Amino acid sequence: MESSSKEIIRNFFSPVALPSAEEDWFFSLWEERTFKQNALITEAGQMERFFYIILEGVQVIYLLNQKGDKVVLGFSYSGSPSGVFDSFLYQKPSDTFLEALRPSRALALSRDNYLALFKTNPDFHQWGHSFFREILFGRLFREVELLTLSARERYISFMQRCPDDLKVIPQKYLASYLNMKPETFSRLRRSVSY
Amino acid sequence: MAKLLLTPENQIQRLNQLLDNFSSLQKLPPEILRFKPHPKSWNVLEVLEHLSICYNQYEEKIITALKASTDTNTGSWEYQPGFWIRFVIEGQRPKGQHRPFKLKTLKKFEPHMVLEPDTKAVQNVMERFRNNYLALKRNIKDSRSKIMDHPRFASAIGSVVSFRLPESFELLRCHAERHMIHRAGIIASQD
Repeated sequence: MESSSKEIIRNFFSPVALPSAEEDWFFSLWEERTFKQNALITEAGQMERFFYIILEGVQVIYLLNQKGDKVVLGFSYSGSPSGVFDSFLYQKPSDTFLEALRPSRALALSRDNYLALFKTNPDFHQWGHSFFREILFGRLFREVELLTLSARERYISFMQRCPDDLKVIPQKYLASYLNMKPETFSRLRRSVSY
Repeated sequence: MAKLLLTPENQIQRLNQLLDNFSSLQKLPPEILRFKPHPKSWNVLEVLEHLSICYNQYEEKIITALKASTDTNTGSWEYQPGFWIRFVIEGQRPKGQHRPFKLKTLKKFEPHMVLEPDTKAVQNVMERFRNNYLALKRNIKDSRSKIMDHPRFASAIGSVVSFRLPESFELLRCHAERHMIHRAGIIASQD
Protein backbone atom coordinates (compact mmCIF):
# COMPACT_ATOMS: atom_id res chain seq x y z
CA MET A 1 0.00 0.00 0.00
CA GLU A 2 1.30 3.48 -0.87
CA SER A 3 2.43 5.63 2.04
CA SER A 4 -0.09 8.35 1.07
CA SER A 5 -2.91 5.79 1.36
CA LYS A 6 -1.60 4.73 4.77
CA GLU A 7 -1.64 8.34 5.88
CA ILE A 8 -5.25 8.74 4.76
CA ILE A 9 -6.28 5.65 6.75
CA ARG A 10 -4.31 6.80 9.82
CA ASN A 11 -6.06 10.19 9.70
CA PHE A 12 -9.42 8.60 9.22
CA PHE A 13 -9.00 6.39 12.29
CA SER A 14 -7.09 9.06 14.21
CA PRO A 15 -8.11 8.22 17.80
CA VAL A 16 -6.79 4.70 17.26
CA ALA A 17 -3.07 4.34 17.98
CA LEU A 18 -1.82 0.97 16.84
CA PRO A 19 1.57 -0.53 17.68
CA SER A 20 3.64 -0.96 14.49
CA ALA A 21 3.17 -4.77 14.36
CA GLU A 22 -0.59 -4.35 14.56
CA GLU A 23 -0.48 -1.51 12.05
CA ASP A 24 1.00 -3.79 9.37
CA TRP A 25 -1.85 -6.22 9.95
CA PHE A 26 -4.36 -3.35 9.86
CA PHE A 27 -3.09 -2.04 6.50
CA SER A 28 -3.07 -5.55 5.06
CA LEU A 29 -6.87 -5.74 5.53
CA TRP A 30 -7.53 -3.06 2.92
CA GLU A 31 -7.67 -3.60 -0.82
CA GLU A 32 -7.57 -0.87 -3.44
CA ARG A 33 -10.49 -0.80 -5.87
CA THR A 34 -11.00 1.42 -8.91
CA PHE A 35 -14.26 2.39 -10.58
CA LYS A 36 -14.91 3.89 -13.99
CA GLN A 37 -17.03 7.01 -14.33
CA ASN A 38 -20.74 6.16 -13.91
CA ALA A 39 -19.98 2.65 -12.63
CA LEU A 40 -22.49 1.31 -10.12
CA ILE A 41 -20.43 0.45 -7.04
CA THR A 42 -23.42 -0.92 -5.14
CA GLU A 43 -26.84 -1.66 -6.65
CA ALA A 44 -30.19 -1.36 -4.93
CA GLY A 45 -31.29 -4.89 -4.12
CA GLN A 46 -27.75 -6.14 -3.57
CA MET A 47 -25.72 -6.46 -0.38
CA GLU A 48 -23.00 -3.90 0.37
CA ARG A 49 -19.76 -5.87 0.76
CA PHE A 50 -17.29 -3.13 1.65
CA PHE A 51 -16.63 -0.10 3.79
CA TYR A 52 -14.73 2.38 1.63
CA ILE A 53 -12.36 5.27 2.19
CA ILE A 54 -12.09 7.36 -0.96
CA LEU A 55 -8.65 8.17 -2.34
CA GLU A 56 -9.83 9.90 -5.49
CA GLY A 57 -13.07 10.72 -7.30
CA VAL A 58 -16.67 11.50 -6.36
CA GLN A 59 -19.51 9.10 -5.62
CA VAL A 60 -23.21 9.72 -5.15
CA ILE A 61 -25.63 7.70 -3.05
CA TYR A 62 -29.27 7.82 -4.16
CA LEU A 63 -32.51 5.91 -4.16
CA LEU A 64 -35.33 5.84 -6.67
CA ASN A 65 -38.67 7.33 -5.69
CA GLN A 66 -42.00 5.86 -6.82
CA LYS A 67 -41.80 7.71 -10.14
CA GLY A 68 -38.33 6.24 -10.68
CA ASP A 69 -36.52 9.58 -10.20
CA LYS A 70 -33.17 9.60 -8.41
CA VAL A 71 -33.29 11.16 -4.94
CA VAL A 72 -29.76 12.03 -3.84
CA LEU A 73 -28.94 11.34 -0.19
CA GLY A 74 -25.27 12.29 -0.18
CA PHE A 75 -21.85 12.35 -1.78
CA SER A 76 -18.42 11.01 -0.95
CA TYR A 77 -15.08 12.34 -2.17
CA SER A 78 -11.34 12.22 -1.45
CA GLY A 79 -10.66 11.36 2.19
CA SER A 80 -14.29 10.66 3.08
CA PRO A 81 -15.94 7.32 3.89
CA SER A 82 -18.24 5.69 1.37
CA GLY A 83 -20.54 2.69 1.08
CA VAL A 84 -24.09 1.75 1.97
CA PHE A 85 -23.64 1.44 5.72
CA ASP A 86 -27.02 -0.02 6.70
CA SER A 87 -26.70 -2.79 4.12
CA PHE A 88 -23.07 -3.36 5.13
CA LEU A 89 -23.78 -3.58 8.86
CA TYR A 90 -27.12 -5.40 8.81
CA GLN A 91 -26.36 -7.59 5.77
CA LYS A 92 -29.65 -6.73 4.12
CA PRO A 93 -30.17 -5.80 0.47
CA SER A 94 -29.44 -2.15 -0.14
CA ASP A 95 -32.29 0.29 -0.83
CA THR A 96 -29.86 2.67 -2.48
CA PHE A 97 -27.42 2.89 -5.36
CA LEU A 98 -23.82 4.00 -4.92
CA GLU A 99 -22.42 5.34 -8.19
CA ALA A 100 -19.05 6.76 -9.21
CA LEU A 101 -19.69 10.20 -10.75
CA ARG A 102 -16.00 10.57 -11.52
CA PRO A 103 -13.38 7.87 -12.07
CA SER A 104 -12.69 6.74 -8.53
CA ARG A 105 -10.09 4.98 -6.44
CA ALA A 106 -10.99 3.67 -3.01
CA LEU A 107 -9.63 1.54 -0.20
CA ALA A 108 -12.09 -1.20 0.64
CA LEU A 109 -12.51 -3.14 3.88
CA SER A 110 -14.66 -6.28 3.90
CA ARG A 111 -17.29 -6.78 6.62
CA ASP A 112 -15.37 -9.63 8.27
CA ASN A 113 -12.26 -7.47 8.46
CA TYR A 114 -14.30 -4.49 9.66
CA LEU A 115 -15.73 -6.57 12.52
CA ALA A 116 -12.29 -7.99 13.29
CA LEU A 117 -11.05 -4.45 14.05
CA PHE A 118 -13.43 -4.12 16.99
CA LYS A 119 -12.44 -7.51 18.39
CA THR A 120 -8.73 -6.77 18.10
CA ASN A 121 -8.40 -3.33 19.62
CA PRO A 122 -10.92 -1.58 21.94
CA ASP A 123 -9.80 1.82 20.56
CA PHE A 124 -11.88 1.06 17.46
CA HIS A 125 -15.03 1.25 19.60
CA GLN A 126 -14.11 4.81 20.46
CA TRP A 127 -13.53 5.52 16.78
CA GLY A 128 -16.89 3.89 15.90
CA HIS A 129 -18.66 6.05 18.50
CA SER A 130 -17.17 9.27 17.06
CA PHE A 131 -17.71 8.19 13.46
CA PHE A 132 -21.41 7.36 13.80
CA ARG A 133 -22.00 10.43 16.03
CA GLU A 134 -20.60 12.62 13.23
CA ILE A 135 -22.84 10.90 10.69
CA LEU A 136 -25.91 11.25 12.89
CA PHE A 137 -25.34 14.94 13.59
CA GLY A 138 -24.52 15.56 9.93
CA ARG A 139 -27.85 14.00 8.91
CA LEU A 140 -29.73 16.00 11.58
CA PHE A 141 -28.10 19.22 10.38
CA ARG A 142 -29.15 18.43 6.81
CA GLU A 143 -32.69 17.63 7.89
CA VAL A 144 -32.98 20.96 9.72
CA GLU A 145 -31.68 22.78 6.63
CA LEU A 146 -34.15 21.01 4.35
CA LEU A 147 -37.07 21.76 6.67
CA THR A 148 -36.29 25.34 7.61
CA LEU A 149 -34.33 27.08 4.83
CA SER A 150 -35.56 28.47 1.53
CA ALA A 151 -34.13 27.08 -1.73
CA ARG A 152 -31.85 30.12 -2.01
CA GLU A 153 -30.61 29.72 1.59
CA ARG A 154 -30.03 26.00 1.10
CA TYR A 155 -28.04 26.75 -2.05
CA ILE A 156 -25.84 29.36 -0.33
CA SER A 157 -25.27 27.23 2.77
CA PHE A 158 -24.30 24.20 0.67
CA MET A 159 -22.04 26.07 -1.75
CA GLN A 160 -20.16 27.71 1.13
CA ARG A 161 -19.20 24.36 2.59
CA CYS A 162 -19.10 22.36 -0.65
CA PRO A 163 -15.67 20.85 -1.48
CA ASP A 164 -14.27 21.75 -4.92
CA ASP A 165 -14.59 18.09 -6.00
CA LEU A 166 -18.38 18.40 -5.87
CA LYS A 167 -18.62 21.63 -7.84
CA VAL A 168 -17.83 19.83 -11.09
CA ILE A 169 -20.44 17.04 -10.95
CA PRO A 170 -23.67 17.27 -13.01
CA GLN A 171 -25.99 19.89 -11.54
CA LYS A 172 -28.97 17.53 -11.43
CA TYR A 173 -27.32 15.60 -8.57
CA LEU A 174 -26.62 18.73 -6.54
CA ALA A 175 -30.15 19.99 -7.21
CA SER A 176 -31.66 16.71 -6.01
CA TYR A 177 -29.47 16.75 -2.89
CA LEU A 178 -30.77 20.23 -2.10
CA ASN A 179 -34.35 19.14 -2.82
CA MET A 180 -34.89 21.54 -5.71
CA LYS A 181 -35.50 21.26 -9.43
CA PRO A 182 -32.43 21.40 -11.72
CA GLU A 183 -33.92 24.57 -13.26
CA THR A 184 -34.05 26.25 -9.83
CA PHE A 185 -30.47 25.20 -9.10
CA SER A 186 -29.33 26.54 -12.44
CA ARG A 187 -31.12 29.87 -11.88
CA LEU A 188 -29.57 30.22 -8.40
CA ARG A 189 -26.13 29.40 -9.78
CA ARG A 190 -26.49 32.23 -12.31
CA SER A 191 -27.93 34.81 -9.95
CA VAL A 192 -26.61 34.17 -6.44
CA SER A 193 -23.09 34.74 -5.18
CA TYR A 194 -21.93 33.09 -2.00
CA MET B 1 -52.11 6.21 -20.63
CA ALA B 2 -49.66 7.70 -18.10
CA LYS B 3 -46.12 8.65 -19.05
CA LEU B 4 -43.65 5.81 -18.63
CA LEU B 5 -40.07 6.87 -18.01
CA LEU B 6 -37.59 4.02 -18.24
CA THR B 7 -34.19 4.15 -16.55
CA PRO B 8 -31.54 1.43 -16.29
CA GLU B 9 -31.30 1.93 -12.52
CA ASN B 10 -34.98 1.16 -12.07
CA GLN B 11 -34.64 -1.93 -14.27
CA ILE B 12 -31.54 -3.09 -12.37
CA GLN B 13 -33.25 -2.63 -8.99
CA ARG B 14 -36.29 -4.63 -10.11
CA LEU B 15 -34.13 -7.35 -11.66
CA ASN B 16 -32.21 -7.68 -8.39
CA GLN B 17 -35.53 -8.21 -6.62
CA LEU B 18 -36.47 -10.80 -9.22
CA LEU B 19 -33.16 -12.63 -8.81
CA ASP B 20 -33.56 -12.50 -5.05
CA ASN B 21 -37.01 -13.99 -5.46
CA PHE B 22 -35.48 -16.69 -7.66
CA SER B 23 -32.85 -17.49 -4.98
CA SER B 24 -35.68 -18.59 -2.67
CA LEU B 25 -36.77 -21.09 -5.34
CA GLN B 26 -33.35 -22.70 -5.33
CA LYS B 27 -33.93 -23.83 -1.75
CA LEU B 28 -37.13 -25.70 -2.63
CA PRO B 29 -37.16 -29.48 -3.09
CA PRO B 30 -37.53 -30.73 -6.72
CA GLU B 31 -41.00 -32.21 -5.98
CA ILE B 32 -42.36 -28.71 -5.40
CA LEU B 33 -40.70 -27.39 -8.55
CA ARG B 34 -42.16 -30.30 -10.58
CA PHE B 35 -45.68 -29.97 -9.17
CA LYS B 36 -48.48 -29.15 -11.66
CA PRO B 37 -51.74 -27.83 -10.18
CA HIS B 38 -53.58 -29.30 -13.20
CA PRO B 39 -52.36 -31.72 -15.86
CA LYS B 40 -52.44 -28.91 -18.49
CA SER B 41 -50.88 -26.16 -16.40
CA TRP B 42 -47.18 -25.44 -16.11
CA ASN B 43 -45.00 -26.29 -13.16
CA VAL B 44 -42.40 -23.87 -11.74
CA LEU B 45 -39.64 -25.36 -13.91
CA GLU B 46 -41.70 -24.81 -17.05
CA VAL B 47 -42.31 -21.20 -16.04
CA LEU B 48 -38.54 -20.68 -15.63
CA GLU B 49 -37.81 -22.45 -18.91
CA HIS B 50 -40.40 -20.26 -20.68
CA LEU B 51 -38.64 -17.16 -19.31
CA SER B 52 -35.29 -18.47 -20.55
CA ILE B 53 -36.74 -19.10 -24.02
CA CYS B 54 -38.09 -15.54 -24.10
CA TYR B 55 -34.75 -14.05 -23.11
CA ASN B 56 -32.93 -16.18 -25.71
CA GLN B 57 -35.26 -14.80 -28.41
CA TYR B 58 -33.85 -11.33 -27.68
CA GLU B 59 -30.29 -12.08 -26.64
CA GLU B 60 -28.60 -11.70 -30.02
CA LYS B 61 -30.69 -8.68 -30.97
CA ILE B 62 -29.75 -6.98 -27.70
CA ILE B 63 -26.05 -7.65 -28.20
CA THR B 64 -26.18 -6.36 -31.78
CA ALA B 65 -28.03 -3.22 -30.68
CA LEU B 66 -25.51 -2.63 -27.88
CA LYS B 67 -22.68 -2.79 -30.42
CA ALA B 68 -24.53 -0.38 -32.71
CA SER B 69 -25.13 2.19 -29.96
CA THR B 70 -22.80 5.15 -29.52
CA ASP B 71 -20.71 5.33 -26.35
CA THR B 72 -21.14 8.43 -24.26
CA ASN B 73 -19.77 9.75 -21.03
CA THR B 74 -22.75 11.82 -20.05
CA GLY B 75 -24.43 9.50 -17.58
CA SER B 76 -27.09 6.87 -18.03
CA TRP B 77 -30.04 7.12 -20.39
CA GLU B 78 -33.67 7.95 -19.68
CA TYR B 79 -36.16 6.71 -22.21
CA GLN B 80 -39.82 7.34 -22.84
CA PRO B 81 -41.53 4.77 -25.08
CA GLY B 82 -44.26 5.76 -27.50
CA PHE B 83 -47.94 4.90 -27.08
CA TRP B 84 -47.92 1.54 -28.88
CA ILE B 85 -44.88 0.15 -27.06
CA ARG B 86 -46.26 1.43 -23.75
CA PHE B 87 -49.42 -0.49 -24.47
CA VAL B 88 -47.42 -3.69 -25.16
CA ILE B 89 -45.31 -3.29 -22.00
CA GLU B 90 -48.30 -2.47 -19.80
CA GLY B 91 -49.94 -5.68 -21.00
CA GLN B 92 -47.12 -7.61 -19.34
CA ARG B 93 -46.57 -5.52 -16.22
CA PRO B 94 -48.17 -7.03 -13.11
CA LYS B 95 -50.70 -4.87 -11.29
CA GLY B 96 -49.65 -5.29 -7.67
CA GLN B 97 -49.69 -9.02 -7.01
CA HIS B 98 -51.93 -9.83 -9.98
CA ARG B 99 -51.31 -10.57 -13.63
CA PRO B 100 -53.47 -8.11 -15.63
CA PHE B 101 -54.94 -10.86 -17.82
CA LYS B 102 -54.00 -14.29 -19.12
CA LEU B 103 -52.10 -14.34 -22.41
CA LYS B 104 -52.00 -17.21 -24.85
CA THR B 105 -48.44 -18.50 -25.25
CA LEU B 106 -47.19 -18.80 -28.81
CA LYS B 107 -45.79 -22.19 -29.79
CA LYS B 108 -42.21 -20.92 -30.03
CA PHE B 109 -42.25 -19.75 -26.42
CA GLU B 110 -43.60 -23.02 -25.00
CA PRO B 111 -41.28 -24.96 -22.69
CA HIS B 112 -40.70 -28.54 -23.74
CA MET B 113 -39.77 -30.64 -20.75
CA VAL B 114 -40.05 -34.29 -19.85
CA LEU B 115 -42.88 -35.09 -17.46
CA GLU B 116 -40.61 -36.07 -14.55
CA PRO B 117 -37.30 -34.19 -14.94
CA ASP B 118 -34.46 -35.69 -12.88
CA THR B 119 -32.30 -33.67 -10.48
CA LYS B 120 -29.77 -32.86 -13.20
CA ALA B 121 -32.48 -31.52 -15.53
CA VAL B 122 -33.95 -29.46 -12.66
CA GLN B 123 -30.52 -27.95 -11.97
CA ASN B 124 -30.03 -27.16 -15.65
CA VAL B 125 -33.31 -25.26 -15.86
CA MET B 126 -32.46 -23.29 -12.71
CA GLU B 127 -28.96 -22.50 -13.89
CA ARG B 128 -30.14 -21.48 -17.37
CA PHE B 129 -32.67 -19.06 -15.90
CA ARG B 130 -30.14 -17.54 -13.51
CA ASN B 131 -27.47 -17.14 -16.20
CA ASN B 132 -29.95 -15.61 -18.65
CA TYR B 133 -31.33 -13.02 -16.27
CA LEU B 134 -27.87 -12.17 -14.95
CA ALA B 135 -26.90 -11.65 -18.61
CA LEU B 136 -29.94 -9.39 -19.04
CA LYS B 137 -28.78 -7.34 -16.06
CA ARG B 138 -25.26 -7.18 -17.49
CA ASN B 139 -26.69 -5.93 -20.78
CA ILE B 140 -28.67 -3.23 -19.00
CA LYS B 141 -25.52 -2.16 -17.13
CA ASP B 142 -23.52 -2.11 -20.37
CA SER B 143 -26.19 0.05 -21.99
CA ARG B 144 -25.86 2.76 -19.30
CA SER B 145 -22.84 4.28 -21.01
CA LYS B 146 -24.54 4.43 -24.42
CA ILE B 147 -26.92 6.62 -26.36
CA MET B 148 -30.01 4.75 -27.51
CA ASP B 149 -29.46 5.64 -31.16
CA HIS B 150 -29.32 2.13 -32.63
CA PRO B 151 -31.88 1.01 -35.23
CA ARG B 152 -35.07 -0.52 -33.84
CA PHE B 153 -35.17 -4.31 -33.88
CA ALA B 154 -38.14 -6.61 -34.36
CA SER B 155 -39.65 -8.10 -31.22
CA ALA B 156 -39.93 -11.86 -30.73
CA ILE B 157 -43.49 -11.76 -32.06
CA GLY B 158 -42.39 -10.10 -35.32
CA SER B 159 -41.86 -6.65 -36.77
CA VAL B 160 -45.38 -5.49 -35.88
CA VAL B 161 -43.69 -4.51 -32.62
CA SER B 162 -40.13 -3.19 -32.76
CA PHE B 163 -37.95 -2.14 -29.89
CA ARG B 164 -35.11 0.03 -28.77
CA LEU B 165 -33.00 -1.50 -26.00
CA PRO B 166 -34.76 0.14 -23.02
CA GLU B 167 -38.11 -1.11 -24.28
CA SER B 168 -36.89 -4.68 -24.76
CA PHE B 169 -35.30 -4.64 -21.27
CA GLU B 170 -38.55 -3.39 -19.77
CA LEU B 171 -40.67 -5.95 -21.60
CA LEU B 172 -38.44 -8.83 -20.47
CA ARG B 173 -38.40 -7.56 -16.91
CA CYS B 174 -42.18 -7.03 -16.71
CA HIS B 175 -42.79 -10.40 -18.37
CA ALA B 176 -40.51 -12.12 -15.83
CA GLU B 177 -42.22 -10.33 -12.92
CA ARG B 178 -45.57 -11.43 -14.29
CA HIS B 179 -44.44 -15.04 -14.28
CA MET B 180 -42.96 -14.75 -10.79
CA ILE B 181 -46.54 -14.10 -9.65
CA HIS B 182 -47.60 -17.07 -11.76
CA ARG B 183 -45.01 -19.34 -10.11
CA ALA B 184 -45.99 -18.06 -6.61
CA GLY B 185 -49.55 -19.13 -7.44
CA ILE B 186 -48.38 -22.61 -8.46
CA ILE B 187 -46.46 -23.06 -5.21
CA ALA B 188 -49.32 -21.68 -3.11
CA SER B 189 -51.73 -24.17 -4.73
CA GLN B 190 -49.76 -27.01 -3.10
CA ASP B 191 -50.55 -25.85 0.44
